[in-house]
Amino acid sequence: MDLMRDCLDKQLEDGNKRRMGRVDGIILDIEDGRQPHVAYIEVGVKTLMNRLSPRLASLATEPYRIAWGKVKVGLNKVVADVEAEETPALEWELWLRKKVIGRIPGA
Amino acid sequence: MKKILEIALGIVTSVGGFLEIGSIATAAQAGSDFSLQLIWAIVLGGICIIFLVEQAGRFAAVSGRTIPDAIRERFGFNYFAFLYLVLVLVSLIVLAAEIGGVCIALELATGFHFSLWAIPVALVVWLVIWKGTFGIIEKGVSILGLVTLSFVVGAYLINPPWSQVAQSALPSLPQHNSIHYWFIAVSILGATISPYLYFFYSSGAIEDEWNEGYIGINRIIATGGMSFGSIISIAVLILAAMIFAPQGVKFEHYSQLPTLLTPVFGYWGYWLIVASIGIACLGAAMEITLEIAYLTAQGFGWNWSENQRPLDEARFSVAYMIAILIGMLPILIGIDPLTLTIFGMALTAATLPVSIVPFLFLMNDYSYVRVYRNGWLSNAVVLVIIGLAFVLAVVAIPLQIFGGS
Amino acid sequence: MSKRQVHVELLLGEKVLAMNGVSIGRLEEIRTEVNRGHYYVTEFLVGSYAVLERLAAWRIGRAVLRVVRAQRKEGYRIRWEQLDLSDPRRLRLLCEVDELMPLKREQYPS
Repeated sequence: MDLMRDCLDKQLEDGNKRRMGRVDGIILDIEDGRQPHVAYIEVGVKTLMNRLSPRLASLATEPYRIAWGKVKVGLNKVVADVEAEETPALEWELWLRKKVIGRIPGA
Repeated sequence: MKKILEIALGIVTSVGGFLEIGSIATAAQAGSDFSLQLIWAIVLGGICIIFLVEQAGRFAAVSGRTIPDAIRERFGFNYFAFLYLVLVLVSLIVLAAEIGGVCIALELATGFHFSLWAIPVALVVWLVIWKGTFGIIEKGVSILGLVTLSFVVGAYLINPPWSQVAQSALPSLPQHNSIHYWFIAVSILGATISPYLYFFYSSGAIEDEWNEGYIGINRIIATGGMSFGSIISIAVLILAAMIFAPQGVKFEHYSQLPTLLTPVFGYWGYWLIVASIGIACLGAAMEITLEIAYLTAQGFGWNWSENQRPLDEARFSVAYMIAILIGMLPILIGIDPLTLTIFGMALTAATLPVSIVPFLFLMNDYSYVRVYRNGWLSNAVVLVIIGLAFVLAVVAIPLQIFGGS
Repeated sequence: MSKRQVHVELLLGEKVLAMNGVSIGRLEEIRTEVNRGHYYVTEFLVGSYAVLERLAAWRIGRAVLRVVRAQRKEGYRIRWEQLDLSDPRRLRLLCEVDELMPLKREQYPS
């Protein structure tokens, strides 16, 4: 599997096909003399901003990491063995749902 | 029968996306300032957008993803961020112009200044998107938008020199005021080859759940819809050429627009213009609003769909609410919609390469479009469009400064 | 043994330097293989060739590069033990360039 082509920036879904963002980052565990292996994927604005500029990244909250063992790379999407709404990945979605959208009639 | 109906509806909805304040204003300006001479720019723009829209539909139908989806995946976040900032900025200016177009129609209808209509129009745009489904928005407004056929009828009835109309379909050099001529040509191309059009088309194909079986229908809809839209734009140009140009009148204000149809339809011409501008711009405003929200949601991987409840896609809903709010502001504070329109079209032209270049790569990517990759003709046309886009990118803003109205 | 973590997305596009400090290209892909449930890095793909393949518009890409007179270098495949990842901003080879495998078009994944 190629990390850039098959995983990075791909749509991330939970087990119920709920979209929960994209794979914004991938973390390798590195140890001297040992073969590096994939440890986590990361979702979050901070990870994205870091790709543009570390200074921008300092303004954002910590990203959400999912252990690689809970991740399955499919065709053009990545599926995580989590419940999307119970993770920080949908923090803003749930907040906006409760505090903004839910208060408007017809939502 | 069902397929024929689907194709007919598809063509009608494509027209709705094509004709908006930019194409009306630039065509009217072209006709008033250079008579029939700039018909070629509309024809050229029409051919380009037919190819781009067809490819956008094919891409979505075969890959099951939209263009913004694929750009983020294939080119990474850094390029997507650049594209996002550019497209959103340009789209917000064009959105403001479209909201302004609806407000102008309401000013023509009621006499109340256009800025007073900014908030009500923004509310209507929001409400229709909030409560409506993709089908209602796409088809409903477009069917109403058939009123714009009055331009075509008017252009026929005014009996222009048809041989000159046909001749003007080929490019020609200006006989006077070269800078202004090329500025109008660039603006027409910017009004026609709008990234939001083919981006929205790809999102629409996913909303409508297109698959490989729609490849043929897509080709017909793209060709028919964009051709139809081009014909209506050409009709506006012809009317302006036959009514404004002989009297040496320059198109400089929206209040002049009713003059295009009143000589042909009398009293009803005024109301046909008001309805045409109002409905065309309303449709365009909703499409651009949705496209800004689609671009945001798809790029960042959020839930999105016009067919879901706002509660299930809070970030997507907030994105289009913010877009409408920002788009409304310039009109609320009284900025002239015509100025916004012309500036928006020039800026669109200047930023075309940003979206078209990655699109070319995607249309040749086997992992997305498989055997439906571009053939040599489609690639050749897109390469020409890219070349044209780079030229436009370089000249659009200087022409705006030196040759704009 | 020092353990650390490296962000893959920050390695993308970084220059890879030979032992003499000369750039041999840019990191474009990281290839992995699964072994007992873990995905281990096997090689790093470097070079402008890799960029074209990644964009998957091979004929178009070459034509564009020829027009802008960009050099078409063959890429390299660098085995995991041949690259020093201690500084993600300064990726260095741990071997001579001659020891690297060339990256040919047919070797790139479809």
